[in-house]
Amino acid sequence: MTDMGARTMQNQWAQYAPFLPVLLVFLGSLVFALAKSSALERDMRIAATQNMLWVVTQTQMEVLALTLAVGGPDRDDAQISQRFDLTLSRMNLLMEGPQARYLEDIGHLGAVQDMSASLLALDPLEMGHSPDLHAALFALGQDLHPQINRIANDVMTRDWDKSAARLDAYRATQRLIIIAVSCAFLAALAISWVLLRNQRRLHRTALEHMRAANLLEQERDVSAMYRDFAAIVSHQMRTPLSLIDSSMHRLARMGDKVGASDVDERRRIVGDAVGRLTRLVDTVLLLAKLDNDQLKARFMPLAMDQIVQSIMDEAQLRHPHRMMRLSCSDGAIVARGDRHLVGHIIENLLSNALKYSPADSAVELRVFAQGNDVACAVTDQGHGIAAQDQPYLFNRYFRGAEGDTRQTGQRSGQGTGQGTGQGTGLGLALAHELAQLQGGRISFETWPGKGSVFTLWLPAMKKRGEYAS
Amino acid sequence: MKQAPRLWACAVVLLTSWPVLADMPVLTITGAIDGDEASLTVNDLRALPQHQLTTSTTVTDGTPEFTGFLMRDLLATVQAQGDTVVAYAMNDYRMEIPVSDFHDFDVLGALSMDGMPLNPRDKGPVWIVYPRDNHRELQDIRFDTRWVWQLVSLHVE
Repeated sequence: MTDMGARTMQNQWAQYAPFLPVLLVFLGSLVFALAKSSALERDMRIAATQNMLWVVTQTQMEVLALTLAVGGPDRDDAQISQRFDLTLSRMNLLMEGPQARYLEDIGHLGAVQDMSASLLALDPLEMGHSPDLHAALFALGQDLHPQINRIANDVMTRDWDKSAARLDAYRATQRLIIIAVSCAFLAALAISWVLLRNQRRLHRTALEHMRAANLLEQERDVSAMYRDFAAIVSHQMRTPLSLIDSSMHRLARMGDKVGASDVDERRRIVGDAVGRLTRLVDTVLLLAKLDNDQLKARFMPLAMDQIVQSIMDEAQLRHPHRMMRLSCSDGAIVARGDRHLVGHIIENLLSNALKYSPADSAVELRVFAQGNDVACAVTDQGHGIAAQDQPYLFNRYFRGAEGDTRQTGQRSGQGTGQGTGQGTGLGLALAHELAQLQGGRISFETWPGKGSVFTLWLPAMKKRGEYAS
Repeated sequence: MKQAPRLWACAVVLLTSWPVLADMPVLTITGAIDGDEASLTVNDLRALPQHQLTTSTTVTDGTPEFTGFLMRDLLATVQAQGDTVVAYAMNDYRMEIPVSDFHDFDVLGALSMDGMPLNPRDKGPVWIVYPRDNHRELQDIRFDTRWVWQLVSLHVE
């Protein structure tokens, strides 16, 4: 056996170590109780020798019968002989083995021997029947009777003493057995407890194994996710890069014929592509920080109307032909959040709204307070989101089948490609996670064919301080 | 052991008178048997196949060797038909014994103990002896009472 095998065996035995003492108590008590019960069972048999009183009484009765036989007026020699034999046989019985020892114990053996001798001295078999012999036997019978009575008396007293002592012993034994069985019961309880505890431990270990397996599975998921992530992001980078490349080629080919309007147009295209790249990189960086727990929100009071206004102005520059409206409920609405992260979220919601709604429809932004929250709602008049896609809208890499499919970017060709993380399936997921990081959330309502409202909720700033914009 | 010489004297006396007893009827069988009554002498009983049985008893020390006939042989001799035998002793002791006892165990009608014929001044001439050392269930007061000594009659029912 290897060292490790030996150690495992040792460990296995060690597991049973707590059992040994209780097991010993359990088995010991049971064996003790069994032995005691068995002794009791053997002792409880009644032996005929213990019925000494009956033997003495029989002797007394025979003496009486003999006395009557020899004392009567019409004596029958044969009957007297038989009575004599019977009386003698009882005397002989009393002087035999166990009976003799019993009588010796109570100090009457000598008396019985004397009785037997005086009886044999008047044996009709030897002396022949005669009125004198009968008279002598009668006198002897009258003399023996009270003596045997005394013996019977002593035997009875001793029998009762012995019986009482025996019952006392039985009771004591019974008590011991009860105690032993109780001990065994307690030990059995203890063993059950130890067993249960071990089982719980086993169960816990099994759970830990399961948890470890789950962790491993998660780890695999995460690495798969990163593979997807790398593929999608590199694909998304290719489009703006090729746009930049083709614009530069075009300018190079035109050579001297390049006019101011050409340069203007290329500059706009390249600027757009660079913007997309910047936002993509921004998104990726944010996600990376988020996943590594390195993203810390720097909380400050945010004047929401001003922030939204500036984001909308910027978007208006990029989309000069789209209609955008901002409405604010009264006065300054101040949220608690990180300026950079909140800007990123609202940009994402606004660019999605622009992207997934017809070019001639309006996009509306509303800033308002509700309870302890501050909200920024972005409403579009797009296609809405299919019911089956709604539960997965905030999942990373989610690609819906139809409708709005904000996360999938299937219709990105239609838009101007300015969404942050557009087409990566990352934009809304990131926005949602960023909102949660700041104690907020994103909710949405959608009406297929009519449009959607996406709302960013942030906790309101309790005190009015300096506003960041 | 003060009484030993006297016992020996007694035994000698009885042995000398034994031939007289041997021809006298000592056991009467009545009830469900062939004929009304069967009277058997010691000689009749000795004529049955004799068996030895060594066993302890409740009234003696040690394990005496008994010699005698099997109770089932005796009942077969008189063609007894019954389930129960009522045994009577000389002193009118009465005990009912199931006939099955005699078939389940080799129960002896002992005529002698340790080579000495049993006599009416002891437990004779016939003592019903069970093989109690060979069967644990026989070591019980309910069987001890069936050891009828000074047996004088049997009634088959």
